[in-house]
Amino acid sequence: MTQWFTIARIVPERLGLNGTTASAEILAMTLRHSGHEVSIVDIHGPADAPSTVDIVTIGSGSTSQIAPAATELISLVRLFQAWKQSGSHWVAIGLGWDLLGESLLTEQGDTVPGAGIFPSRANHQRGRFSGEVQGLDYRGRHSAGYINQLGSTELLEGVEPLLSLENPPEGWPTSEGLRGDRLFATRLGGPALALNPHWAHDIVTEVLASRGLSPDMGSPQDRIELAAGHTRKLIAQRLGVRQ
Amino acid sequence: MGKVPAFVIAKLMRFLTRLRGGGSAFPGLVLMRLRPQVLSEALGSLPGGTVFVSGSNGKSTTTTMLAAVLRAHGRSVFSNPAGGNLPQGLASAVVGAAGLGGRLSADIAVVEVDEAYAGMIADAVTPDWVVLTNLQVDQLNRFGEPENVYRMLRDLAARATTGVLVNGADPNLVALGAEIASGGQRVEWVAVSPEALASARHGVVAAGLHSEGPGVLEGEPVVTLQAASGAQARIRVGEKVIACDLPAPGLHYAVDATLALGCASVILGHAIDPDAVNRALREGAPVFGRGETLSYRGIDIELTMMKNLPSLQANIDAMTERPELVWVAVDEGTPDPSWIYDVDLGVLDHVDVLTGSKAWQWALFLEYRGIPWGQVVEDTAQALETVRKLALESGAPVSAVVNYEQMMLIRRLAGYKELEGSR
Repeated sequence: MTQWFTIARIVPERLGLNGTTASAEILAMTLRHSGHEVSIVDIHGPADAPSTVDIVTIGSGSTSQIAPAATELISLVRLFQAWKQSGSHWVAIGLGWDLLGESLLTEQGDTVPGAGIFPSRANHQRGRFSGEVQGLDYRGRHSAGYINQLGSTELLEGVEPLLSLENPPEGWPTSEGLRGDRLFATRLGGPALALNPHWAHDIVTEVLASRGLSPDMGSPQDRIELAAGHTRKLIAQRLGVRQ
Repeated sequence: MGKVPAFVIAKLMRFLTRLRGGGSAFPGLVLMRLRPQVLSEALGSLPGGTVFVSGSNGKSTTTTMLAAVLRAHGRSVFSNPAGGNLPQGLASAVVGAAGLGGRLSADIAVVEVDEAYAGMIADAVTPDWVVLTNLQVDQLNRFGEPENVYRMLRDLAARATTGVLVNGADPNLVALGAEIASGGQRVEWVAVSPEALASARHGVVAAGLHSEGPGVLEGEPVVTLQAASGAQARIRVGEKVIACDLPAPGLHYAVDATLALGCASVILGHAIDPDAVNRALREGAPVFGRGETLSYRGIDIELTMMKNLPSLQANIDAMTERPELVWVAVDEGTPDPSWIYDVDLGVLDHVDVLTGSKAWQWALFLEYRGIPWGQVVEDTAQALETVRKLALESGAPVSAVVNYEQMMLIRRLAGYKELEGSR
């Protein structure tokens, strides 16, 4: 039976760099392929916000967005806590993840307090990593994307890395992202959920399960997996990794 | 090495590389190895000085237009070919234009310079004028983030010995202009009217660094883009209003023309002849891939550049009719095409053929957008034949959305050998 789902997109004009607002679009399409209806709501302040949402997504931004985005998010923190308590699922990319974590140490050495949704601490003082990566995710599945990461992120208790990177260049992190109970975060572009539809399936499966539903995705998802599989394979080839 | 033998060797290299079909930066690289001071020697003594054109997009078109307008006003201009904006590309242009003694017979140089290499080129040749086209989200794989490009452009602008001309419609460049003006630098600017901005669905897509409180540029704009429609623009220069024909439709071309006229007016002292401007813009061939149509064995292929999000968006915004036969060709020249998910595809409602090593990534994007696509033909030469067959069967012209590297490859496959271009 068709049900309605709501996906919130947090300050997408400010945190939407390089395709990172597409997480909402991709999850919506995955839910629709399972026969459900979805509305995507852009959140700029508490006044825009529905009292409950199924999935919250936030994208990335460049360093000049840290201060203005953090300021905007302050007014949303109580709402975020209410959504989290009501069982929302969270999908964060790049700077959006940093700002929804516990804290962010900037390049200049300032500590910006985070919204406390993700048990992680970001540190922007370790240089930048930029390039294609691939590896095995938390279920051992080949996954890939394009990383453009400033600094590093420390994962705290209760979560695990999303992805173990295979053959990363010297000095790069060996793992990437975060996976936990109703929590998903990454610095991969691509966008990450498009290139790795198995992650979108995992998130949607959990969202559906929270309403006692199970996914029933048809041929459109086969076409998506075909294109995503070719893309990941080409990334692996370029990296010289055998799958 | 002495000038003459260095130029003899470099010119021989140029002859050989062109014999193989097309030019390259290789002769310039050779010349710079043999005579490292060549850029300083060739460009540093021109009586009219040197103009650097830089920015995220529009460098090639603005440079071409500015050179053409100055020539139409009787100036002899040296310029570098489209895309040859690294030191070796610039040196290659010197190999082609200079005599064996290394002298350029030009009054003035107008050169486009890559943002990241601008400082290195300025170490060799101090610019008299710096023209900045825009600061947009571009090549994040290379620059990390646009904040780094802002710093590069600001440092370049601060080195101009006469002045800087910026696009006043880009809030980042307004901030940059205000910053360097506070340090005593002369800053001129061009304006784009609200009516002209409204002519493109997404306006000028500036990076969001200074979206609030970018500062204010003092004085009046040297020229103003009053209106843009299709491939026409109306630009006010002093008391004159010039109606111009652009090389292709789009607000971005109108802004490029405005910057070119702005720079020409400060160099020529407002002695702008509208007829000469129109002649220059009308007769100037479009820069490679920017609104260019290739003919290949009975079919026409109109090239639309997808260098980055702002350039692709501007080109799609300029499409007024639904293209019938669409070919998308993208390869490693676009290492991270994540930004395609931010594109509003407008009238592009289908794609027939996808080509290049990023073809499947585009197919995936189209799947999520719910836009039908036909087939993936990764090899560009095979794809050209596939597209030709489809075009001959349907009688439809081909609209090709291409990145720079695929555009150059398609040009070569279609028999267009002059890869270096000329200005």
